[in-house]
Amino acid sequence: MDKPSTLFTGIFGAFIVSTGAMVLLPHSQLSGLQSQVTWDEGAKSPSNVYPVKIEHSMGHRHGERVYVENGCFYCHTQQIRDPQFGPDIERGWGARRTVARDYIYQDTPLLGFTRMGPDLANYGWRDTDGKRYWRNEQASDTAKPAVRDELFIFKHLFNPRERVNASNCPSYTTLFELREIGAGVSPDAVKVENGKQWLPTTSARNLAAYLLSLDRSQELKEAPLPKKEAKK
Amino acid sequence: MTDSQTILLATLPSAPQTPAPVKAVLPPSSIAPAKIAAKPVVEPKHSNESIERSLIDQSARGPVLTFFSTAIFWLLVSTVLGYIASKRLHEPEFIIGPEWLYKAVGIDGLLRSIWDNCFTYGRVWPAYNTALIYGWCSLAGMGVATWLIGRLCRVSITSPAVLQLGAWFWNIGVAVGVIMLLGGNNTGLEYFELHRGARILMFIGYLFIGVWGLILFRYKRTVAPYISVSYLVAGFFLFPWFFGAADLLTSAAMPGVMKNIVNAWYQGGLFNLWFGCIGLASAYYFIPKVINQPIYSYNLAKIGFWGWVFLGGLTAMTKLNGGPVPAYLITISIAASILSIIPIACLTVNIGRTMLGHTEKMAYSPTLRFTYVGTVFFAIAAGLGVLGALRGVDSFTHFTTWDYGVKHTLLMGFFSMVMFGAIYYITPRLVGCEWLSRTFIKLHFLGTAYGGATIIALFLFGGLSAGFALHDSAVDPSAANPGREFIFTNVLQNGGWQHIVRTYIGYVFFGLAQIIFAIHFTFMRLRIGQPAGEPTLMANPGEAH
Repeated sequence: MDKPSTLFTGIFGAFIVSTGAMVLLPHSQLSGLQSQVTWDEGAKSPSNVYPVKIEHSMGHRHGERVYVENGCFYCHTQQIRDPQFGPDIERGWGARRTVARDYIYQDTPLLGFTRMGPDLANYGWRDTDGKRYWRNEQASDTAKPAVRDELFIFKHLFNPRERVNASNCPSYTTLFELREIGAGVSPDAVKVENGKQWLPTTSARNLAAYLLSLDRSQELKEAPLPKKEAKK
Repeated sequence: MTDSQTILLATLPSAPQTPAPVKAVLPPSSIAPAKIAAKPVVEPKHSNESIERSLIDQSARGPVLTFFSTAIFWLLVSTVLGYIASKRLHEPEFIIGPEWLYKAVGIDGLLRSIWDNCFTYGRVWPAYNTALIYGWCSLAGMGVATWLIGRLCRVSITSPAVLQLGAWFWNIGVAVGVIMLLGGNNTGLEYFELHRGARILMFIGYLFIGVWGLILFRYKRTVAPYISVSYLVAGFFLFPWFFGAADLLTSAAMPGVMKNIVNAWYQGGLFNLWFGCIGLASAYYFIPKVINQPIYSYNLAKIGFWGWVFLGGLTAMTKLNGGPVPAYLITISIAASILSIIPIACLTVNIGRTMLGHTEKMAYSPTLRFTYVGTVFFAIAAGLGVLGALRGVDSFTHFTTWDYGVKHTLLMGFFSMVMFGAIYYITPRLVGCEWLSRTFIKLHFLGTAYGGATIIALFLFGGLSAGFALHDSAVDPSAANPGREFIFTNVLQNGGWQHIVRTYIGYVFFGLAQIIFAIHFTFMRLRIGQPAGEPTLMANPGEAH
């Protein structure tokens, strides 16, 4: 063994090297990141700001908490990698790779660890007509709704195996409550049984709002959109 | 150099676990073989040193047994949680226990709602990891490390209450963390999911334990200039820095992905430097001790130590390969991973050469069998880590359970095995009787080794096959599964989840073995065992097996 002084100096040196390279260096690089602001020529206000800081009071911040509480990020990633790492873009999960700037306003970016479920980085992605179409997808499929909306998410949360037989996603029945059918079956009801209807709770609604807010398709100067976007 | 070996030989136990006669000629060693061979290896019984050792053992008795007992409790908890997690991943509607029981109790609605709310995969999985990492592995490691420091520095523990207090703070912290995780309090950072309150409790506990360990080191009477001491000091010194820094940094307002970077950096510290160092300290102590030989080369051990300490904190960023982080981080980690072949090779060659010609002792010494098999698992885990860092491999293993497989090789294969070996050695010296049953030890070994290997293999192979499916966007699902969203069903159906989900079989075997071990350990605490003096061996020396 080395002398105690050598030992401690060496070990502390190892910690400093590790912290310096892995924490301080990237921090100095990333701490200055801000939204990308686009100005049209002669305009008084910017034509586009991305990403936008979301206020704490808004429902989808609560939805994000529901997402974290239930550990959705263990199976769903929220990051699109460059084509050299994998076919993320080819699968239609996003139009471009995600970069550090996409996450600057998130408390804890939920990049995810495994892909037991599909990526959700652009789950709320809208086409130019404002609708959320499926991408890279068969047009002839009758089982899927035309667009992704809240009701689709509610049904998936209530019973993921209703549409996707092989899914191993848990059923989050605790995000729903059984209510009397009053004036009629609510359009949000995911299931009607024994004269009662299953309605989403506030948590489920906020989770859906959060998921539909996920959109990282805005072009950034460090992550330009590929020339040909894979969409229909 | 020779000092280390003479002192190691001098600290050999008076009743070594190997009753085999000591060989007169030591294996070829690069360092002054003549002097070592001239040194008498067996000391007279009841020498001053052996009395001193038993006094040190007695002073360590309370805290070390507290560490072991609570660690084994968490081991059982984590195995149950791991079983539930793997079952729930396989059948999301899985309920533990028969349905009629829930109805018979009359509160089936409440139980169902607790089950559906708190025991979904997304909550059980982090609770399982927390119980395994911070409960079992960390507590067992601290217990073994406390005992080792006492032995190697030849100091008695003068106020064991401080250590006990530390152990209980840590335990309460882990318990709070696990319960809060099941209740949904998750930080969103892998292996660092614990609520901040729990982390602070654990940190206070650690300060009692770790500061005590360092003070012990400071007031050492002598220090065996032995590689285990270096590893212990590194582990004890580095862990609070990583843990504390990760806690402060992730609680602060960091810009976006910095939290993920800190998370990955922390994982490097946790797995390579905390578990790696404590486990290797134990392996480097017990293997030479049981086979009654000095380690093959002290220089190799030293190169391995410094290489591991410097590279261990740099390799973890491959977790973020392809992610939205600066690319140089990943480049550094890949380079560090490849360089870490050097310390891994040093360690493997060193332990392998030390064991050369002594492997037959694994047949009867439980300590040696567990520790040596654990060390083999270390080489596998480290090798898999290096392999997985390569970009070509990573593109097939990223975002799959491959990483769980590597982590479990380290935690279940390497660290747990080495800790079991140490506990089999230490406990008889603390309670004053020997292990009751060799069958129990054998069953424990079989269940741990094969159950753990099943879990690891399924995670790795499942990860690989899922990785191939994830990597291949050309797989057309339309024929079998018309129009599933995001073309993902092919991954679910062809992607190896059918392997991964069977991990619960591994957890059953692993868990049964740990129940046997827990019963055996409880017997020891109740002083139900063989009379002290002759260690309980797994077979009589020379017996066919």
